[in-house]
Amino acid sequence: MNISKEEIIRQTNEALKKEFELTDAQLTPQANLKDDIGLDSLDAVDMVVVLEQKFGMNIRQGYDLRSIVTLQDLYNFIEKIAQESMQNK
Amino acid sequence: MDIRANFPKVVITGLGAVSPYGVGVGTLKNGLYEGADCIHRVEELEKLSLVKTKVAATVQEIDYSSIPRQRRRSMSRMSVYAYYAAQEALAQAGYAQAPEGLGFFMGSTLNSISVWLDVCTQCLGGHAELVKTSSFLQIMNHSPQAVVGQALKINGPSFAGAAACATGLFNIGLAASAIQSGLTAQALCGGTEEYHPMFSACFDIMQATSHRFNDQPALSCRPFDAQRDGLVCSEGCGLLFLEREDLALARGARILGEVVSFSSNTETENIANPSAQTMRFCMQSALDKAGLTAKDIDFVNAHATATLAGDAAESSAIHQVFGSSVKVNSFKGHLGHTMGAAGALELIACLHMMQDGVALPTKNLQTPAPDCAPLDYVRQKENFTIRTLLKNSFAIGGNNCSLIVRR
Repeated sequence: MNISKEEIIRQTNEALKKEFELTDAQLTPQANLKDDIGLDSLDAVDMVVVLEQKFGMNIRQGYDLRSIVTLQDLYNFIEKIAQESMQNK
Repeated sequence: MDIRANFPKVVITGLGAVSPYGVGVGTLKNGLYEGADCIHRVEELEKLSLVKTKVAATVQEIDYSSIPRQRRRSMSRMSVYAYYAAQEALAQAGYAQAPEGLGFFMGSTLNSISVWLDVCTQCLGGHAELVKTSSFLQIMNHSPQAVVGQALKINGPSFAGAAACATGLFNIGLAASAIQSGLTAQALCGGTEEYHPMFSACFDIMQATSHRFNDQPALSCRPFDAQRDGLVCSEGCGLLFLEREDLALARGARILGEVVSFSSNTETENIANPSAQTMRFCMQSALDKAGLTAKDIDFVNAHATATLAGDAAESSAIHQVFGSSVKVNSFKGHLGHTMGAAGALELIACLHMMQDGVALPTKNLQTPAPDCAPLDYVRQKENFTIRTLLKNSFAIGGNNCSLIVRR
């Protein structure tokens, strides 16, 4: 998947805002997904569902999602999968 | 199910409703008192060529944005209805928040068909990865009770009993029994339901729906009428706040009525066709348990859904117990059949009739049917003092309920 970091950030924020009714002000890279944004365990699963749809990739299998704590972690994670998918082509 | 005289009295101190007339008990009351029309043609039914009925009554779009997202995500429509009805009943009972140990008895006929269909469509279509976590929470059989209980922090005993069309009244009877037995001192109780065209389709298959008045929806549901031809599916939620009388008096709550007796039995001869005899036993049992006779009952609010078999059997049963002079009505002509919510929504309407000294008519009852027993069918709004009222709910599946309330 050939996608820039800026586009990853834009599309991720767009998906999270829509799914979890968030504001731009809440979506700072340092924001903790649980403590600052208020996502719980069910939200975390639904976040994967919407991001898989958004980016057309499978991110629930083969990856340890527990390491994703902040929004920046999430951006980095998606970027890494996008790069891996490019390398595997 | 026995509410005996030596047990604590159970009183009603709060009411909450969402109906095809809109959100709130006041809206329900106004619609019923004005005889307003809420049954309409349903676009989805137009596409189902083999389904004869084309009408239903539905709740107009509700702005549910005031419900916190993490509560709302687990709510199908029937839970949203229940959330607002519960808030209203709590407020009328004098509580900004659910009191400690509040019981919650509320069920529905089915869970959310629309959510179930979405889940099945996604999974069977090879896209299980699209199903969100909240889907299961919305289709659990006890979903409305569970999610509304969570949202409003109702932390006493809770149960989501289902008895189809008798669900609402059954849960009120169960709550009253739970209060009398000491399981809880206060309880929210009733039923909720959300309409889906499959409801109409399923009842249509059983030849129980109205279709003769598809082009005049307001005239379609005609309990006890000579031209009745079936029920009209509907939706909504009715909830009542019940508590021990001594508790209500101690905290100065306004008492709206007393639950005097509740009786239930089961039709075992036929799962779809009710018998007058079993209905009669149910009503007589409610009288006996309260130590009352037929003469003590001023008014009977019938289940009467406008099916051919149901209305004939119920009118016969009422006649056998009460004779010809008892005043009788049904609210199905106004509201359609709100299914799991029916018993509770209609009991709320009864409490208003009792409070106002008014007998409301059965909407669309123009000519009492010759196959229905001769009763004093209320056909126009009239002033009438109702001190003690018996309310029936008789479900497909054979679950019969009769509940007696007193001012």
